[in-house]
Amino acid sequence: MAKYAMVLDYKNCINCKACEVACKEENGVLLGEHYHRIWVGVNPIKGVYPDLSIASNAFYPSQCQHCENAPCQDVCPTQATHYDENGVVQVDESKCILCSYCMVACPYDARYVDERSMTIDKCSFCSDTRLARGLTSTACQATCPTKVRVFGDISDPTSEISMILKTREYFTLKASLGTEPKLFYLK
Amino acid sequence: MLNAILPHKEINLKSLFSFEKTPFNLIMTAVTILLLTFFFTGFIQYVIHGHHAYGVTKEHPWGLLIAMYIFFVVSSTGLCIISSLGHVFHIKSFEFIGKRAIFGAIITIVSGFCVIGLEIGHPIRMVIYNTISPGFTSAIWGMGALYSVYLFLIIMEFIFLSRNEHKWSKFFGLGGLLIGVAAHSNLGAVFGFLVGRPLANGVFYPVYFILSAMITGCYLLFLMYGYKYKMQFNDEMKTFLMHLGRLLGLLIAILIFFEFWRFLTAIYGRVPQRSDTALHILHSGNFWFGEVLLGMLIPFGIILYSKAKAIKATIYASLGGMIGIFFMRYDLVHDTLLYPMQTMKLKEYQLAPSWVEYVPTVTEWSIALGSLGICLALYYIGENFFFLDPDKEDDYFKHYVADEA
Repeated sequence: MAKYAMVLDYKNCINCKACEVACKEENGVLLGEHYHRIWVGVNPIKGVYPDLSIASNAFYPSQCQHCENAPCQDVCPTQATHYDENGVVQVDESKCILCSYCMVACPYDARYVDERSMTIDKCSFCSDTRLARGLTSTACQATCPTKVRVFGDISDPTSEISMILKTREYFTLKASLGTEPKLFYLK
Repeated sequence: MLNAILPHKEINLKSLFSFEKTPFNLIMTAVTILLLTFFFTGFIQYVIHGHHAYGVTKEHPWGLLIAMYIFFVVSSTGLCIISSLGHVFHIKSFEFIGKRAIFGAIITIVSGFCVIGLEIGHPIRMVIYNTISPGFTSAIWGMGALYSVYLFLIIMEFIFLSRNEHKWSKFFGLGGLLIGVAAHSNLGAVFGFLVGRPLANGVFYPVYFILSAMITGCYLLFLMYGYKYKMQFNDEMKTFLMHLGRLLGLLIAILIFFEFWRFLTAIYGRVPQRSDTALHILHSGNFWFGEVLLGMLIPFGIILYSKAKAIKATIYASLGGMIGIFFMRYDLVHDTLLYPMQTMKLKEYQLAPSWVEYVPTVTEWSIALGSLGICLALYYIGENFFFLDPDKEDDYFKHYVADEA
């Protein structure tokens, strides 16, 4: 059993949005659905010209955090949201009743309604697309020109992601909630 | 056969729908038909367009229909709790309200189920997978399971009350009360368990739901008996309504106390997100006009000033009180979802961070208001079909008994 996670060297992000395009193409997110499944947050430059803080300008690529203690999984009344054998939070669309409780409960706003199946969907680390085809990378990782993302198995101490987490400082989003996200942002 | 199980009036459809043509009755008939038309229209829109007919969004996935569902189940639990004061706890002046209040509890929860059936995307799938794949950690699962048991118990309670079998009615009444309180506090926990929403997260909502349910039950009983007796009350009724008024006054006072400390603790210390949201709510008209003025201060002021003796004024204030309760339910949903969760997306595409907006669509309003028509129609049918008052006060029952003899 693997334990999939992702590291984001977000300071390398140039906001080209190639990850958004690749993800939506790979996973069939419908056109016009902004902010869905994957996104790049923009922190605008603070201050008033000419007293500007260039350092404040940053891009924050993000998606489902694949929490180890996922609120969306706790609140699902039919166990449609579950952990797969690799610790990835998945949605079984045949069980989803579209009560939207997981959308309300997710502290990261990572869930959305898939208009094709009328069930809730989210980032699945490309489990049912690229990984199912035998590939070892996600679409967002493979397409990134500045190599922001590293996807891999953190249960394998020799994997690239494990080596990075051993050598670089990182933080997780809303860590105080105890959700234990598996998206790690490098400082 | 049915009469042996559940005593009812032997009337045909024509007499069921004939009534005294007073202006008030005609207005109520027109309002009920109009509301039912709204519901039907909304239903058709939902069948054609699905969730696209609603104004809910990714950031605000719950809206008016969830609020309306809560409004109805709060009403049901409130009526069940207040009625239990009589036939479970034997407080004498409350004893005669049993059947009417429990019937009210049944029709309000049925109306609520009609609304939630149009909000849940896959209701049939819900029934199947709630049973064969239950998510025990989900407050929605707990609420659904408990409310189903609750509905069964209060139906049984109503049957045994109608049959004057008080040993069993008390048994099912106590069961209904306990399961109803469990279900309703579970509904509060649906919001209270939201770890990512600091204003909702915590013990407040599970407790507050029970309190506001009892207040709703009092308001509804004032309206039901005001309507039933056309504002002309005998001494026994006056005593009951005065006692009910005092209870209502006490409950509103506790609610005001709760709300005061809720907001003070939310704002104190300026904890990010929690205090911002609380301050935002305190700047909204819905809160001050709907929740505070209509839902609390006006009824409380009348009860306090008149020492609960101004029964007619309290009945009119109860109408406003129910509108206030509606605002409470709507705000409960909206306020929970006000703060954007998009941690890193707050300023996406250079947009300033803003509160999450939600505007219900015409379809949502049609279903929400229309569901009141379902409730009114069911109440009218029940009033004419069942014995909702103690036997000695039921004109029909006297004939019924005489005919039987």
